Order: sequence, then structure tokens, then C-alpha cells
Amino acid sequence: MEHEAGRRVDPRWYTRARWVVQLLALAAYLAAFILARRGPYLSAAANLFLRLDPLAALAQALSGREFVAGMLLSLLVIGLALGLGRAWCGWLCPLGTILDVFSPSRRRVRALEAAEPWRRVKILLVVLILASALLGSLSLMVLDPLTLLTRSLASSVWPALDRFVLALETGLYRVPLLAPLVGRTDLLLRPAVFPAEPLPSRVALGFGVLLASVIGLNWLAERFWCRYVCPLGGLLALLSRLAIVKRTVAPGCNACGACTHVCPTATIRADRQFSSDPAECTMCLECLAACLRQGAVFSAGTAIAPRMAYDPNRREVLAALGGGLAGVALLRSQTRTPAASAHRVQPPGARENNLIGKCLRCGECTRTCPTGAIHPAISEAGLEGLWTPVLVPRLGYCDYSCTACGEICPVGAIPPLALEQKRLTVIGVAYIDKDRCIAWADQRDCIVCEEMCPVAEKAILLERVEVTRHDGSTVSVQQPRVVRERCIGCGICEYKCPLSGEAAIRVWTPNIALPL
Amino acid sequence: MSAPMTRRAFLRLLGIGIGGAACGRIANTLPDPLASSPAPTLVPLPASATPFLPAEEVPTQAPPTAVSYPDLVVARGPTPEQLVRQGLAALGGMPRFVHPGARVVIKPNICVAYHSYEYAATTNPWVVGELVRQCLAAGAAQVTVMDSPFGGSAEQAYAVSGIAAQVQAAGGEMHLMRSFKYVATDLPQGRDLHALEIYDDVLKADVLINVPIAKHHSLARLTLGMKNLMGVIRDRPLMHQAIGQRLADLASRVRPALTVVDAVRMLMAHGPSGGSLADVRQADTLILSTDVVAADSYAATLFGLQPDDLSYLRAGRDMGLGQSDLGAMRIEELTIGA
Repeated sequence: MEHEAGRRVDPRWYTRARWVVQLLALAAYLAAFILARRGPYLSAAANLFLRLDPLAALAQALSGREFVAGMLLSLLVIGLALGLGRAWCGWLCPLGTILDVFSPSRRRVRALEAAEPWRRVKILLVVLILASALLGSLSLMVLDPLTLLTRSLASSVWPALDRFVLALETGLYRVPLLAPLVGRTDLLLRPAVFPAEPLPSRVALGFGVLLASVIGLNWLAERFWCRYVCPLGGLLALLSRLAIVKRTVAPGCNACGACTHVCPTATIRADRQFSSDPAECTMCLECLAACLRQGAVFSAGTAIAPRMAYDPNRREVLAALGGGLAGVALLRSQTRTPAASAHRVQPPGARENNLIGKCLRCGECTRTCPTGAIHPAISEAGLEGLWTPVLVPRLGYCDYSCTACGEICPVGAIPPLALEQKRLTVIGVAYIDKDRCIAWADQRDCIVCEEMCPVAEKAILLERVEVTRHDGSTVSVQQPRVVRERCIGCGICEYKCPLSGEAAIRVWTPNIALPL
Repeated sequence: MSAPMTRRAFLRLLGIGIGGAACGRIANTLPDPLASSPAPTLVPLPASATPFLPAEEVPTQAPPTAVSYPDLVVARGPTPEQLVRQGLAALGGMPRFVHPGARVVIKPNICVAYHSYEYAATTNPWVVGELVRQCLAAGAAQVTVMDSPFGGSAEQAYAVSGIAAQVQAAGGEMHLMRSFKYVATDLPQGRDLHALEIYDDVLKADVLINVPIAKHHSLARLTLGMKNLMGVIRDRPLMHQAIGQRLADLASRVRPALTVVDAVRMLMAHGPSGGSLADVRQADTLILSTDVVAADSYAATLFGLQPDDLSYLRAGRDMGLGQSDLGAMRIEELTIGA
């Protein structure tokens, strides 16, 4: 061992510092995620990470034909990439940190030799995303790591965690000595971290499996997602070729190969004289810590990194461009039956705002909705609108006193409406199924829909009528009717309808054949 | 980095957690010593001594028999706090209900998060605040105020109604009702319903004070004291079938020591959520009674209705929960201030 080691900083401190930064960034991300639950918060803080995302900024600007001022924050990450390469991926990305935390022991993971050419996929995805954004479609933003993580947490991890905690609380509350403790703990947890009542999720299992798969790919190759798939990583890879600080190999290298074993993206290769591709290097500094002879050096320079064999060629880029354009055109020409979107009820103001081209599919609105009304669309908005927000009134209603979704949306796809304006914004119209309604079909009083209607003049009227029953007797029943001109489609009537299964009053997409 | 938790330590922790939860489930199936304590005797209760359950301690603390209080106090005047103070004084004062060290739950009507108190969908904040102050002055150890709104979050409803501000200023505590705290509870006197999941804090409170706001309702016709008690159970849609009898069944188990009907501002139409000042009538009236049926019976007349027009008052009277014959009551009417 060289005695010089005493003079310079122990290189293991670099990786320790990186871990600290990574965990702090993940904590900040989770804090922002938790803050997104309606309460006294600054929406700018709650969606900070999505606004740092340069891929989201670029795609949304191309597709929405407007630039959202808050997305200027992404210039920080662009600047970071031009200075320090993919340091975002290695030091800050919350999904990257989660992948590092759930990483198998390195020795067990073989580099996927055959998969080397697949590194181009992430670059081609960037081209696909930007090409389809040109045609006003952001469908592929579902692959962005920040939208993927936020959506998975909002629709899957958090609801599941919530149910788990609730089950624990419900059980422990019945243990006489523990009850006060459970009560006190819950005061800290709800509604700050979890909602007061557990909220539903239609896709908890699906998104859970999806996130688990992204993590599980780590067992095929460390940071599989970041190497091959991540389109944000792809965009940063392109910028990183220009980065000022890059890893180089110093003359002291004795080709021991220690660095190749620790590199999480396996970009340090013996067959390239232990050099690395700045587009693949996440600046994690593991090689620095592992190097016994100060052979790995990170130094400044203005040279542009050389092309690699796996970089996409011009033909592939053009194919991706064409594919993106053709894909959108094909998706649009595949006409869905109108019935498929009959219940596409969108958050207030979003109907007038073309979610397809503006929504990042990040799921912040799902997270923030205090009544659990907003869910990622499955079939309601077609394939192009997959995972854009829809209200599912049977699972939750649009609260008459709430404007949370418009406040949180990082790109204004759901516009920030003032409360008075939101109360007048029609998102749907309720229609009564008289064949199932308790008052109409069973000739019994119910009135729940009218009782719940938040509109001051009540969009549901009750009419007292004498009806003849099957046995010839007459009864007096209050029958509900919807006053279409007053209904804003909030869906509390559908949510509270006491029938089991489908409600006897349902909110439909506003009927354009009728004036609103 | 610090050493990660060992697998063994993790499993042990998991075992303790699951075991604890399992014990809880088992404990839950055992009779709850509180719940099984003799629930209200089936004897119709004299209005002057309506206890809140559990009833064990109440007889020893019954008011001295020498003093007799009115069945009903109706206080009119422009200042809600004064109506509370003087109305209570006429009823014997808060110490009649709240003993030093008592844990008090106040149940106002905070049904939605939509509008401020002016719209008369939620109980007058100053009435609630003054009740909190009176409880604390009587020596209450803890005064918590709670409801579970059907529209909007409870936090927001508490704030928008103005009740949170007044309660906190008075030294009380707003409590967000927790879904795990509803416990299956028998209704021994129930005629239609024999069990309900009822909020634990309400069951365990030493004193329950019921502070409804008087307003219109399409099914029950009026939301008053008995209807206000619906806020302490989990399965509210259940009540809508046969609402009169079922509300009475609930009221046979959850018995407020004091009911204060807030008719300072009354919602005459488009209840329970309201939203238009045109539907609000300022009556500057407070009705106080130990008998929820009596208080509601009087409040009904403010809407031009008779007690028998309300199905839950008929059911409550038939079950002996209180009296609805206004002519037979001793009513003290106060006019306070200008």
C-alpha cells in the first residue's frame, strides 16, 4: 500500500458524501410528495422535482406550445449535466437512489454483455418522446422516471402503506394498554402523511408490479433501468458527452480491474483500457474509492466524448423520429367507440385544456386529491390518454371546497382555478338511472343525492308524487330529478348513492349536443 | 453507514407487530368491560336527569332533588355567547353536567367544508366556543370538539365553519375523527337497529354535549339534535331507511347530557349544505335542555312544524327517550340584551 494514501482525502469519503446527498435528495422528494397532500403548502415546493426534469420541460414545451415558467428550474439540471455529466442520475434522482438501495450484491450480477447495444434504447426513447410531442402527444411521458415514481407512489405504494398502517392501528387500538399510544401516533400520521380515511386506488396492484419490475431488473444488471431504458437518463447522456468534468484514466493505472467490478452501469471496461463513456457514467465515484493506485481521475476538459458502438446511428434516429410521428397518427386514427369515453370526467378545467398534450402523467393530482376522486385513466381516455387523470365518482367526489389539483399540477394542465371559478366549472353531468333508483324503481324515499348536492340551489330537485304500488295501494314518494343547468358534475351524488355496486345516478361526460 | 437491521431482528419485530394486531382482534371479540356495563335502564328517563352512558357514576352525582330546573330553556338575544351563559345558568349552570376532571365531547354540526357559519349549514362558532369555555370553567380536564363532515375534509370544514378558531381560542381541542376508532356497539333498547359502529371517544366521554344547528332536511324534514347524533356513527347511509326509528335507536345509546339547539341562524331550505343567504333566517335563539326530544320538539315549532311532524321525535317519545308535549313542559324563556 502506498504511503501517499495518507496525504490525500480518503476516496471512500467521496462515495460516503454521495450516499448522504442521495438520501437527502430522496428524503426531499418524499417530503415534497407528502406535502402534496392538501394542507398549508407551497405547490412550488410540492412539485419541485418534476419541475427539475428537463425532459418534461422540453416535451411539454414542444407539445403544449407554451413554456411553463416553473419548468425553468430544469435549466439547473441541464447545467449540471453540462458541468458534471449524469451526476443527476448518480446523486439526485430519487428513482436512482431507490435502485441503489434495492441493489443486489454486486458480485452476483454479471454485466449483460449481449445487452450492450441496447444502451441506445434510452436515446431513441428521447427521440420518440420529442417526436410525438411535436404532434401534441405526451403519452410516452409515462416512461419518465419522475412521473413513473410519483405515479407509482401515489396510486400504489402509498395507498398500500396506508391500508397496512390502518390495519395495524385498528388491531392495536383494541389492545387496552396500547389504545392511547395508537391514538397519539395516528395524530402525527393523519392527515399529514396519510389521509384521514384510506383512499381507493384502481391500479394499486398494476403500478406496484410495474415499480417492482423496474427495481427487479436490478437483479439482471445493476441500474438496468438507468443503463437501457430511462429517457431522462438518455437526454442527460446526450448532454453529458459535452460535460466539462469527465472520468479519465491516469498513468498510474496498473490494469488491476478493481474499478470494473464496482461500476454500477458497467461502463468501465477492460477492453477499452478501463476508460468509460461519460454518457453512461453516473459520476458515482465508486471507481475512485475502489482504485488502489489513483488511476481513476475526474478532471476538467472541453473534449467531446467519442461515439460509442452502441450509440444510435442516423438511420435509427430517423426511424425513431418517424416512429414517433407515425405512432401518434396511428393512435389518433384508431377511433374508439364513443361509449368508451362516456365517463371520462376530468379534473376541473382540464376538459377545456387538452390533457393529451399537456399532462405529464405524473400523478401529482392523484396524490393531492383529498377525496381520492382522481385516478390514472385506464380506458376512459384511450391509449393516447393512458394514465391522464380522470375522476371516478364512485370512488371519490370532487370536493366543492377544494382546488388542490389545479394548485399542484406542475405544468398547468389542470388549470389553477380560484374557488369561485371552480365551483362554476362543469366537469360532467349527472343522470339518474330510474330503473334502479330507490325512489323511482322501489317507490321508497331516499333523497341522498339531493341531500349531498353541494350546489346552493341544489342541482337535484325532489318532487313529491303519489305512486300506485303493485298491490294497488298508493304511496307518497320524493322522486329526484337533475336540473342539468345547475349540475357541475362533482359526483358526490354518485359517490354517496346507497345502492350497492353501480350507483343509480352517474356522472357522464358533458353532452356537447346540449347547451351548458 | 450504520449496520442494517439483521433479518432476525426484523422478523422479531414483525412477529411482535402481527402478534399484537392479532391479540387486538381477539381482544375485540371479548366483551368490552365498558360496553357491557349495564346500558341505560329501560325505564323512561326523567328529563331532568338524563345521563350520558355509561351510566354507573351518574346516580351518585345526580343534582340535589331540592332544586328543580326547567325542562327547557329558550334564550333569545343578539349575542350568542350571552345566550349560552344565561341559558346555562337558568338550567342550573355547567357544573350540573360537568364535574371537575371530566372529559367532555362536544358534537356540533360541521357537515360540509363549503361555507362560513353565515350560511347556517354549520353550528354557530361562538356558541360552541362559549360551551367549551363553560366546560373548562366547570373544571373539565379535556374538552374535544368533533364531527365527521360528508362533504370535504374535516380539517377544512373545521376551519371554514369558523368553529376551529373559536374552540381553540376558548382552550378546547378540535379532534379529527379516526376511522379505526369506531367500535361495534350494542343498542340494547334498539327497536329497528340493535348494533352500530359508534365513535369510541363519544362512548367513553364523561359528558356529551350535542350542539346541532336547526336546519332543513329533505328526508327527516329538519336536522336537529337527534339527527345531529348521526355524526358519531360510521354507517350513515344505513340510517336513511326508516330514519325516524333508527335515529331514536341511536339516541337510546348515545345520550347527550345537554342539547343546545343553535337557532341563531336557521337554514330554512336547501339543507343540509345550504349555500345561499336567501335560505337563512336569523332567529337569534338558543334552546337548551337535558332532554334532546324536548329541545327538538321546541325547535320544530320555529319552522312552523309540530313535534309529531318529525318521525324521529315520535319514535323518541314512544321509546321514552324524552318528552315532546310542549304543553306539559316547564319552559323558561329568556330575552337577553337589546
